[in-house]
Amino acid sequence: MSDNQQDSPENPDTTHFGYREVPREDKEKLVRGVFDSVASRYDLMNDLMSAGIHRLWKRFTLELSAVREGQTVLDIAGGTGDLAAKFSRLVGPTGHVILADINDSMLKVGRDRLMDKGASGNIQTVQCDAQALPFPDNSIDCITIAFGLRNVTDKDKALRSMERILKPGGRLLVLEFSKPTNTFLENAYDLYSFRILPLMGKLVANDEDSYRYLAESIRKHPNQETLLEMMEDAGFVNCDYHNMTGGIVAVHKGIKA
Amino acid sequence: MSGDHDPAVITAVLTAVETTINKGLSLAPVAQRELGDLAGTVIGIECTSPEVAITAIVESSGELHLTHYSERAMDTKVRGSLEDFIGLATAEDPAAALINGGLELVGNTAPLIAVQQIITTMDLDWEAPLVDTLGDVVGHQLAVMLRGLFRWGKASAGSFRRQLSEFILEEGRLTPPAAELDAFYEQIDQLGLRVDRLQSRLQKLVRRVGELKP
Repeated sequence: MSDNQQDSPENPDTTHFGYREVPREDKEKLVRGVFDSVASRYDLMNDLMSAGIHRLWKRFTLELSAVREGQTVLDIAGGTGDLAAKFSRLVGPTGHVILADINDSMLKVGRDRLMDKGASGNIQTVQCDAQALPFPDNSIDCITIAFGLRNVTDKDKALRSMERILKPGGRLLVLEFSKPTNTFLENAYDLYSFRILPLMGKLVANDEDSYRYLAESIRKHPNQETLLEMMEDAGFVNCDYHNMTGGIVAVHKGIKA
Repeated sequence: MSGDHDPAVITAVLTAVETTINKGLSLAPVAQRELGDLAGTVIGIECTSPEVAITAIVESSGELHLTHYSERAMDTKVRGSLEDFIGLATAEDPAAALINGGLELVGNTAPLIAVQQIITTMDLDWEAPLVDTLGDVVGHQLAVMLRGLFRWGKASAGSFRRQLSEFILEEGRLTPPAAELDAFYEQIDQLGLRVDRLQSRLQKLVRRVGELKP
């Protein structure tokens, strides 16, 4: 089930939305529909789907960021703001965190959560498209995108846009589902994704289709090595990645030259 | 690209250890304040077996933050096996354990000893959380009982350890006294050094004989 295809090479006007081929201009709207539907229960579902392990994946990503006080961090597809809240503490009052998401519903949930956690003052929320980031060149110290890149229509364009706004020496961290390194784990993971996950989506969020899309979009996302090449093609140097939980998730790191 | 160990597994272990230590520190205000005075201290811990590296960072809040990956400059770096680290963590005299143990040290040892002592000797105040949960009267009574129980447990454990050691050493004569053992190890070390010196002299002689041959 894992084929790691990129946008349809035979038809440049279409792209994938899960396993479906859709016109490129429609993907954004369809992805927005999925996240509008799951926004209110996104964190609960993440905890249920990953048995809480997503917190460990994010914690390691945070360590890799090596963010220091006074720096500017952009968290793209930041959703409900869990990473942004932690970055806010790391950069301190002299630093700046931008929580960005294309989806208005997710951003609203994120903004409310951050306020509830008391994380404010150095956090700004911005609704924007990862393919055309509305920030000046060489202005950000660190960019993170956690479980968001696979939903972007043109991933190469998004990576180039991130490279443009990063300061030289700044780093990009892409945390995303990837390809398991072990066949047994891959089969178990497929069973879980296509049988159990949609059922959980139906029971908890009353939305089986959205969670089926999540499983399908993971299989369509580039594997570890392909994403590494894409980052290098976008201009990043010293790129590498760490597999986590047997490759179910990988965090890629790239530095702007 | 990916290391030998799954970062998620190591992060899970570190999170559990960190949470336990910080939970303990939250019940020991004096230890937390003392640790807060060491804010910014970064200690690198490199375990050779199993092979894993972690960094302990002391926060200004008096909490300890453990990370699998860190780019911060370290005040102290310690390297050794898991056994060596357990020995250090449980040592009554950490300075002696550092010098005599198998640990390799780089940097300033003072912060490492200070952190070890604060954590291993912290005096937990069980009363505050018990009073918060059960109310003033019941909470206080239970805390007094628990304190007595811990004191008794600590004294009993110390007494048992002392008596067991006396029995093994004096009554059963199962092991030699520590001083006798130390002297024996010292003699073995000296013998090893003499053998090395003798071997060097022999090699030197063999080389000279070889040079004298036409």
